[in-house]
Amino acid sequence: MGRTDLLADAAWRLPLKPLVFQILLTLADGERHGWSLVREVQQRGGFGRIMPGNFYRTLRATLSSGLIAESPDRPAPEEDDERRRYFRLTPLGEAVAAAEARRLEAAVIEARAKRLLAKRG
Amino acid sequence: MTTRFYRLLLWCFPPSIRRGFGDDMVRLFDAQLRDARIQGDSPLRIYVEAIGDAVMHGTAERVGAGRERARRLIRAVGRWRSWMQAIRQDLNYALRLLGRQPGVTVLAVATLALGIGANTAIFSAVEALLLRPLPYHDSERLMMLYEKRAAEGVLDNPVSPADFLDWSRLNGSFAPIAAFATETVDLTGAGEPVRLSAEKVSPRFFEVLGVQPMLGRTFRPEEALSGQHRVAILANDLWRKRFDADAAVVGRRIMLDATPFEVIGVLPPTFEFPGTSLSLWIPLALEGGPQPPSRTNHYLTVVARLKDGVTLARARSDMDRVGSQLQQQYPEANRNHGASVSPLSIELHAPVRESLIGLLAAVAFVLLIACVNVANLLLAKAASRRREMAVRAALGASRLRLAGQALTESLLLGVCGGGAGLLVAGWGIALLRRIAPEGVPVLGVDRVGLNPQVLAFTLVLSIAVGLLFGLLPAWQLASQDVSESLKDGGRSPAGVRRRLRRTLVVSEIALASLLLVGAGLTMRSFQSLLRADTGFHPHGLLTAFISLPDGRYPDDARRVAAYNEIERRFAALPGVRSVGATSHLPLSGQDSRSGIGVEGRAATPDTPTRAHPRAVTLDYFKTMGITLLAGRNFAASDNPDAPFVAVINQTMARRYWPGGSPLGKRVRLGGNMVRWREVIGIVSDVKHWGFDRPVNPEIYLPQRQMVWDGLTFVLATDRDPALLTAAVREQLRSVDPDLPLSRVATMESVAARSVAARRAAMLLLGIFGGLALVLAAAGIYGVMAQLVALRSAEIGIRMTLGARPAAVMRLVLREGLVQAIIGLSIGIAGGVALMRGFRAVLYQVSPADPVTLAAVSATLIATTLLACALPARRAMRVDPIVALRH
Repeated sequence: MGRTDLLADAAWRLPLKPLVFQILLTLADGERHGWSLVREVQQRGGFGRIMPGNFYRTLRATLSSGLIAESPDRPAPEEDDERRRYFRLTPLGEAVAAAEARRLEAAVIEARAKRLLAKRG
Repeated sequence: MTTRFYRLLLWCFPPSIRRGFGDDMVRLFDAQLRDARIQGDSPLRIYVEAIGDAVMHGTAERVGAGRERARRLIRAVGRWRSWMQAIRQDLNYALRLLGRQPGVTVLAVATLALGIGANTAIFSAVEALLLRPLPYHDSERLMMLYEKRAAEGVLDNPVSPADFLDWSRLNGSFAPIAAFATETVDLTGAGEPVRLSAEKVSPRFFEVLGVQPMLGRTFRPEEALSGQHRVAILANDLWRKRFDADAAVVGRRIMLDATPFEVIGVLPPTFEFPGTSLSLWIPLALEGGPQPPSRTNHYLTVVARLKDGVTLARARSDMDRVGSQLQQQYPEANRNHGASVSPLSIELHAPVRESLIGLLAAVAFVLLIACVNVANLLLAKAASRRREMAVRAALGASRLRLAGQALTESLLLGVCGGGAGLLVAGWGIALLRRIAPEGVPVLGVDRVGLNPQVLAFTLVLSIAVGLLFGLLPAWQLASQDVSESLKDGGRSPAGVRRRLRRTLVVSEIALASLLLVGAGLTMRSFQSLLRADTGFHPHGLLTAFISLPDGRYPDDARRVAAYNEIERRFAALPGVRSVGATSHLPLSGQDSRSGIGVEGRAATPDTPTRAHPRAVTLDYFKTMGITLLAGRNFAASDNPDAPFVAVINQTMARRYWPGGSPLGKRVRLGGNMVRWREVIGIVSDVKHWGFDRPVNPEIYLPQRQMVWDGLTFVLATDRDPALLTAAVREQLRSVDPDLPLSRVATMESVAARSVAARRAAMLLLGIFGGLALVLAAAGIYGVMAQLVALRSAEIGIRMTLGARPAAVMRLVLREGLVQAIIGLSIGIAGGVALMRGFRAVLYQVSPADPVTLAAVSATLIATTLLACALPARRAMRVDPIVALRH
C-alpha cells in the first residue's frame, strides 16, 4: 500500500475509540506483550478501571482491523515466556494513530482559540 | 478462588478470545482486585463490574463472531454458486457442441470406450488377483518357508519332516508354524467312489491362517502322532457336493483309501487355499511312527505367522541362524542347506504376476493410442473453432475460462467414454473368464468383476484420460493470438498445425508397433514352444489315473496282478493299439525325485547325484512314442525275482557317464541298503516338466520291480481318444467296482493345460495388438484426411501448374509413408528394448526376431498405406478451381 492509500484508508477509521488510541500510542514506543500493554495504558490513566472483557475485546478488534499485528519476533529466551503474545504497530496503525492525533490536535487548537483551555489555565 | 471465579466468567466469551487471551484476562482481573484493595475500594464492586463486563463484551463478541462466520459462509456459497454456474454453462455448451457433430462424438466415445474398457477389464483381474489382501486374518504377517540350497541356486526346495520339526523348535520369529503336503486319496462310502486331493497339514495349520471351522473343530496336537491321525476336516464345497451340506456329518465315519477316518469339522465357505476347494484336510503325522522323521526326504511346504513386532528381515536372519545350527548338527544331511522366508502373498501371486503386469502394460498402450486418436479429433475441431474462441477472448473471456471450457468438453468425452467403457469391460471380463486357464493355483479368480474399487479406477482413468487428450487442444485454443486469429478469419498457421498432427501420427504408429512387437514375439515364442520336440507323440492318446488303496491291495503281488488285469482289459478294447502305464505322466505336474548312487562315482554334497524315478509298464515307451536309443526295453522277465534293471533318459546318460556308455553300469535309488540296478537301455528325453523347462535325469523302472500305489494308464488309439472314456470306465468297474477313475483326459489336453496360462496371455496380447492396429489405422486415416483438406489449396495450385493426379496421390502416400517409417523405427526400437526386459517370457525367440519385426513393419506400412489411400484419392480429385476459390 502506498502512502496516499494508507492515508485514505486511515481517514475513514476516525474518530478512534479512546482505548484503541491508547493502545496504538503505547505500541508507538515499540513492541509490548498483552500484559505490559494493558498495564501501561492503565498507568497513563483517564479511563477509570479497565475491565478484562472490554480491554481484550478491543485488542482483538484492533488486531483484526489490521491496526496492530502479532509480532513474530520474540525477546531473548531467558526473558521470554512462551504463553505471551507480542504486539506491534502496523504501518496502517501508525497512519491511523497519526491521523487521530492530528484530529485531536485540531480540536485542542480550536478549544484554545475559543479560550476553553485558557479559562482554566 | 478469584482465578476460578474469573475462569468461569470466561465462558461468556467465544473460544477464540478464551484461548488467545484467557490467561491475561484472569491476570488483569486479579490485578484490578489487588489495586481496588490498595485503594480501599470494595472488592465486591470489582466482582459485580467484572460480571457486567464479561456478560456485555462476551455476548457482543459472540454475536460478532457469529456474524462474521455467517458472512464468510454466504461469501463461500456465493463463490460456489458462481463456480457451479460456470461449470453448468461449460457443461451445457460442451453437450451442445458434442451433439452438433454426433459422428465425431460417437467415434471419440467409442475409441475411448475400447481403451478404457480393456484397461478396466485387465485392472479388475489385477485388483482381484494381485492387489487384494489374501483372505486371511492379518495376512501380511503370513510367510512361506523353504529349504535354501544357495550352492545349487535353489531357494524354494521342499522341507524334510525332521528339518520342519527342528525349525518349529528352534525359531524365535514365528508364532505358529505349520507344514503341509498334498496327496490323493480315494473316498468311498459317500456316493460313487472318488479320488480327492487330501491336504495333510500339521495341527496348527488353521491357527497359522487364522481360520475357525464352521462346524466341529480343527486338529489337536496329539492327532499329529501316527496312529491317532484318523480324523478329517472337509472343505466347504466338498461338504456341499458330497455330503449334501449335512450338519450331522461331524462324527461320521468315512473311508479314505479303505481306512476309516472320523469327520471332525467342516471349513467355512469363506476359507480359500489354492486348489483345495474340493479337498479333505487330514493331520500330517510326522512323529510316533516306526521310523524317526526323515531328514533326507523333502516334500513339505511350510507356512508360518510372524510374531508381533518381528520384521521379515529379522525372521530371515533368525532362520539363517537356525539353518547353520542344523548344518553343524547334521553335517551329512544338511550340508549347505539353509532356510528361506518369503511372504505368502508373493508366493501365491507368483503364477500370474508377470503375465498380468505385461497385459496391463499392453492395455495401457492401447489406451494411449485411443487418447492420441481423440486428441487428434479434438485438434481438428479446435481448428474450426479458433475464430469463435478469438471472438470470445476479444469480448473479455479469460484464457483460463476458455481453456476450462475446452477441458470440460474433453472431460465430458472422457467420462462418456468411461461409461461406455464399462460395457466393454463387462464383456471383456466375461471373455477373460472364458479364456482364463483352469487350475492356475491362485486365489481370487471368482472375484474378478466390476466392484467399487474397479469402478473407482475407471472413473479416475476416465478423468485422467479426459485431461490427457484435452490438454493439447485446450492449450492451443487458449494460447492463440487473438488479433491474428480474428484477422486471418480463423485459419491457423498451417505449419504449426501440421507439425503437431504429424507428431501425433508418428507417436501413434510408434505405440502400435511397440505393442505389436510385444504381441508378435509372444506369439512366435508360443509357436516355437508348441513345435518344440516333447520327446513323445501326444496325438491319439487317452490318459486316466487309477490307484489301488492299501486296504484292499495290501501287497505288491496283488497290486501287480490288478494292474496287469486292467492293462489287459484296456488293450482288448476295440480300436486300442497299445496300452502302457506310468507312475508320473509327463506335463501333468506329477513328479518325484530321489538321490541315487552311481557305481564308481562318489556323490558329494556339493555334486549330488539325483534322478527322477518313474515306474512304467512294458509297453509304456511304445504307447507314448518315446524312442529307445540304445540297449533294450523292459521285458516280461524283468520281475521281482530277476536282477533289477533300469532304463534312463539321455540327459541322465550324459550327466553321469560323460563320454562313456552307461549300458551295463549299475545305479541304485536311495541308500546303501538298496539293491543295485543294471542300466539296460537309454530312451530319448521327454519334456516332463513343461515345454519350456529343462530336462532332468529320469530313471525308468519296470513296474513289477518298483510297485507304485497309483498309475496313469495311457491308451493309444487311431480314433478320437475321448470316445474311449465310457468303455474304459466300464472295464475298470468290471475289475473292481470300488476303484475310482480320475483325471481322464487326452494327452493333447494334458499338454494344452500345461501351456494354458501362456496361451491365454498370448491370446489377450493378440487381441490388444489387433485393437491397437485398428485404432492406429483409424487415427492415421483421420489425420491424413485433415492434412489433405488443409493442403487442398496447395494441391489445387500444383494441379493448375500441371501436376498429374498420380503425382498428387504419390505426394500424399509419401507423406504417410515417411511418418510410418519414423514411427516404426521408434516403436520397434522401443519394443525390442522392452522385450529384452521380458526375455524370460520368450522361448527360443530373440527379442530382435527378424520374422516378427518384418511382419510388424509390413503390417503397419500396409495399414498406413490403406489408411492414406482414401485421403489420397480425394486429393487426386481436387478440383483446382474450387480449391483455389476457397
